[in-house]
Amino acid sequence: MNNRLKTLIEALIFISQKPLALEKIKDILEEFPPKDIEKAVEELLQSYSSNERGIQIIKSAGGYIFSTKPEDDRWIRRLLRIERKNKLSPAALEALSAVAYHQPITLSEISALRDTDSSHTIKTLLQKKLIKIVGRKKSPGRPLIYRTSDKFLTYFGLNSLKELPTQEEISKILEEGEDIIE
Amino acid sequence: MKTESYQVKLEVFQGPLDLLLFLIRKQKIDIHDIPIATITQEYLEYLEQKEKINLDREAEFLLMAALLIYIKSQMLLPREKALNEEEDPRQSLVHRLLHYQRIKAASSLLRKKEDEELLKWKRTFLPPLLSEEDLDLEEVSLFDLAEAFFAAMKKKRREDFQIIKRKEYSVEAKIKEILAILGKNSFLDFLDFFTQQESLEEAFVSFFSLLELIKARRVIAVQESLFQAIKVWLIKDSLAGQN
Repeated sequence: MNNRLKTLIEALIFISQKPLALEKIKDILEEFPPKDIEKAVEELLQSYSSNERGIQIIKSAGGYIFSTKPEDDRWIRRLLRIERKNKLSPAALEALSAVAYHQPITLSEISALRDTDSSHTIKTLLQKKLIKIVGRKKSPGRPLIYRTSDKFLTYFGLNSLKELPTQEEISKILEEGEDIIE
Repeated sequence: MKTESYQVKLEVFQGPLDLLLFLIRKQKIDIHDIPIATITQEYLEYLEQKEKINLDREAEFLLMAALLIYIKSQMLLPREKALNEEEDPRQSLVHRLLHYQRIKAASSLLRKKEDEELLKWKRTFLPPLLSEEDLDLEEVSLFDLAEAFFAAMKKKRREDFQIIKRKEYSVEAKIKEILAILGKNSFLDFLDFFTQQESLEEAFVSFFSLLELIKARRVIAVQESLFQAIKVWLIKDSLAGQN
C-alpha cells in the first residue's frame, strides 16, 4: 500500500510544472489518510537522495519539484542545443532585491531606493512573472503595490522568503569589502 | 584626485547613488563621514567624462550633483554651536547610501544563487501543458499575424502552383464562412485555415476578413506561447450580436 502511494506521489510531482505543495498532494489524494501521505513523501525523498539517480527532488517555493543536478548541466545544454541560459540584467536584479527586501513596495519606493527611474525594469520583472501586483496603496495616485512571486522563489532556489540571504550575510559581505559592483 | 586610472563608463552605473557608492568605496572613505568637497569634485569629473547618455538619466545624475553642492553649502554656513549628528546635512544622503548599499550587496548574493540554480534543469523549463490555470494567452499583434500569413503563403506557393481560377471572393461571404466555422468548432487554427484556401486570391480575402473581424472585436487571435500555433477564437459577447 505504502509503495503504491509512493509511486503515485512520484507521478504527481513528475507531471506538475510548478513545485507541488504537500497540501496540494493531500487535496488530490483525498482517498488516502494524510499521515500515510506524509510518510510516503518522506520515503520518496529518501530514495531520491542517493547518488544513484540523475534527478533529485528539491523543495522549492513551498513545494516539491524534480530537478537535474548542477554537474550535468553541460551535457543537458548540449542535448537541448542551448548555449547558455540568460541571466537577469544588473538593473533587474537590483530592482528585484529592492522588492524582495522591502515588500510590499510601490514603484516610486523602488525608484527612490535605487535613486533611478525603475518603471521599465519593473515592467520586465512583471513580464518574467518574478514579481506580482498585490493591490493598490491607499495614498495619492493609488500606486500599485508589488511583491515577489512564487516563481521568484523557484528561480533563486528558495523554499520561502525566509531563505533569502539574511541581514547578517549582507552585512558580512559589506564588511569584507567584497566588490559588489558589477 | 585624478580618475584616469578608473575609466568606467557612466552607463555601467545603475544610478547616481551607484556612482557615489563606487567613488566612496574606491577612495576607501568612511560612509558615515563623507568629505563632501572631495566627493563632489570626483562626482563632477565623472559627469564630464560621460559620453552619450540619455537626457532622463543625465537629469538624475545632475540632481545628485546639485544635492552634493547644497549639502556642502549647508556645511559651510557659520553656526554658533557645533552640529550634532542629527543636524548633519549629510545625514539623509548617508541614510540613502546605506540602504542602497545593502540592496547592492543583496543582489550580489542573489546573483550567486541564480548562477547555482541555472545549472539545475526543472520541469518549469519545459513547454507547458494546457491547464486552465496556466492559460495566460497573449493576443497576437497585427504584425505577428501578417508575418505568419505571408510565411504560410510563401510555402503554399512553392507547394502548388495552380492556375488562378476565375472566381469571385467577397470579404462579406468570407466573414460569414469564418463565423460559421467558429460556431461549429471552438477555435480555428490560423495556419491550417490559410493553407486550406484554394488560391492566393482567396487566401488574401480570407486574411482581410479575419482582420475585419479582429478590428470589430468579434474574434480574437491568440498564441499560447512563442512559436506555437496561432488560434482564432470567437469573442463570446459578440455571439449575442450575431443572429
